[in-house]
Amino acid sequence: MDAAGQESFREFVAGRSSALLKTAVLLSGGDRHAAEDLLQNALIKAAGRWQRIDEPEAYVRRILYRQQVSRWRLKWRRRELTVAEPPESGGGAADGAAGVELRLVMRGALARLTARQRTVLVLRYFEDLPEGDVARILGCSVGTVRSTTHRSLARLRELAPELAALGPAPAEQQPSRDFSPVEVRP
Amino acid sequence: MNVDELVRDSLREQAAEQPPLAPGFAERVLTVRRRRRTRSFATVAAATAAVVAVAVAVPLLDSGKDELRLSTEMNRSDIIAHPDQSPPRDLIAAGDVALAAWFTVDTVKTSKDTAVPVRTYRVLDQETGKYVKDTRWSQVAVAPGMRTAAVLEKDLPARRIGLLDLLTGEVERWIPVDRGVASVEFSPDGTRLVATTYSKNPDLLARAANDLDGDGKKNDFMREEWSKSYRTGFYIVDVDSGGTEWTEVPVEEPENGLVIVNPRQDFSFSDDGKLVRSGLSTESYDQYYDLKGAEVDKPAAEKYLTWLVKAGLSPNGKLAAGDFAGGAKTTASEIVDPRTGKRLHKIPGQQLLAWADNERLVAWDITAGDSEFHNALVLVTIGSDKTLRLSGARKGDDGAAGRWNPVFATR
Repeated sequence: MDAAGQESFREFVAGRSSALLKTAVLLSGGDRHAAEDLLQNALIKAAGRWQRIDEPEAYVRRILYRQQVSRWRLKWRRRELTVAEPPESGGGAADGAAGVELRLVMRGALARLTARQRTVLVLRYFEDLPEGDVARILGCSVGTVRSTTHRSLARLRELAPELAALGPAPAEQQPSRDFSPVEVRP
Repeated sequence: MNVDELVRDSLREQAAEQPPLAPGFAERVLTVRRRRRTRSFATVAAATAAVVAVAVAVPLLDSGKDELRLSTEMNRSDIIAHPDQSPPRDLIAAGDVALAAWFTVDTVKTSKDTAVPVRTYRVLDQETGKYVKDTRWSQVAVAPGMRTAAVLEKDLPARRIGLLDLLTGEVERWIPVDRGVASVEFSPDGTRLVATTYSKNPDLLARAANDLDGDGKKNDFMREEWSKSYRTGFYIVDVDSGGTEWTEVPVEEPENGLVIVNPRQDFSFSDDGKLVRSGLSTESYDQYYDLKGAEVDKPAAEKYLTWLVKAGLSPNGKLAAGDFAGGAKTTASEIVDPRTGKRLHKIPGQQLLAWADNERLVAWDITAGDSEFHNALVLVTIGSDKTLRLSGARKGDDGAAGRWNPVFATR
């Protein structure tokens, strides 16, 4: 990267890194340190071809998502996250103080999903992307996005029984078919 | 309220709470990037600038929570030596390179007349900075950055490649392959693997007809076949996606009863990662292939590299580690111009193993007068007679059980 490239890279990081960090934190299940490392690695990759990238932000985001799904580079030890209230204290309603509690319960449950599950939910519900776009970004089929969304929401309900009072999401009403590759563990 | 609405609200709330990044994040990224580009063709001046920048930036990089860092990131000392340890127990490193793992080899009989050499690895545990015995693997290649290793299980050829997380010691992902592989090597940037395919375990040994070691017993084993190669080709594996592409590389029929490659003759990447290369057991000694398997000329920048010398090209590409250049009672190695083969330097060291930076290498060397097999890891510097011991000396003769063999990676 030449001096002009470095200058534009610094400008980009100064202007956009806080927004990108928000996404990285969500992808990392609330772990700020892991998020900074995730973002750092994505930016290192982007820096490698900085002057050939047309849309830096889209490029960095795509690396963030993909990197998170194939976390082989960035596997941090799973840690218990501190939440303000223990999960079992969550109420049924979603407004007022009980609503705050429920969101904290949800936050704790999101942190315990697999990276792949959490990434799909962040793309669908935080970035508000349609299934087709999520599939393109992650390099998988729409069926995989659909089934992963379905299973992730089901897993959230398992992790946080307090969510039982909530109505089903549209994605939960679709039949679940698993098209994702099977991970074999030793 | 539906569950997806709560997911949405929770994510937005969590995102909104994030304080901005500390200033200087771009500098941190650029600094780490410079550090990782260990195999670039940067000029010496640029490389020197990068080294200076790293030294300045260390406090920034250490701002995270220590318990989550790799041991190689927590201890960034230029030289981490344990001259009292053979085999090594604690992290050894110098410059950009570190001892990532080591292995011993034991010959295990599989029947009355067959045997197989079994490797037992000790792999760096990035949580503790110690080498930990891991009997699961027959091959371990460690990626630049030392966060991940590519591993093969014991039965070769293997039908899947594992990506081992060096922090947890667990396989993070398996990449299945249709054709059996018996070797894995990372590309210089760590994004791809070249995996050599064999139709049969290339390490198999058969009982030798003669008493090879002269102990009066005909109980020795040797390579089964020299007249036939079971090597079939190579996979290029994209590590992120797990995508694999196989290329057939036929081994020529033998002319005088011997094939031109060893039973195990693995592929590795060229220094720029654009080609793969394989050693040959006959003259020219090296053959390069494009990624489609077509034979190509040696690239000019590595014309005088030889696969027998592990260290290869210096990080800036200007120097090639050369062969033994000592005498009957002295050890020395040469550094040559990779384009012309001309000897540029003669430096201490019995065998050059890995470049620590553009001026220093990790080598095997012996204490003068001691057995040639009792060598220790040392750091040697171009233009200096001084060597610095990094490990204790190995014991036993070549091939003795329990002798350890190093695996290096850039840290």
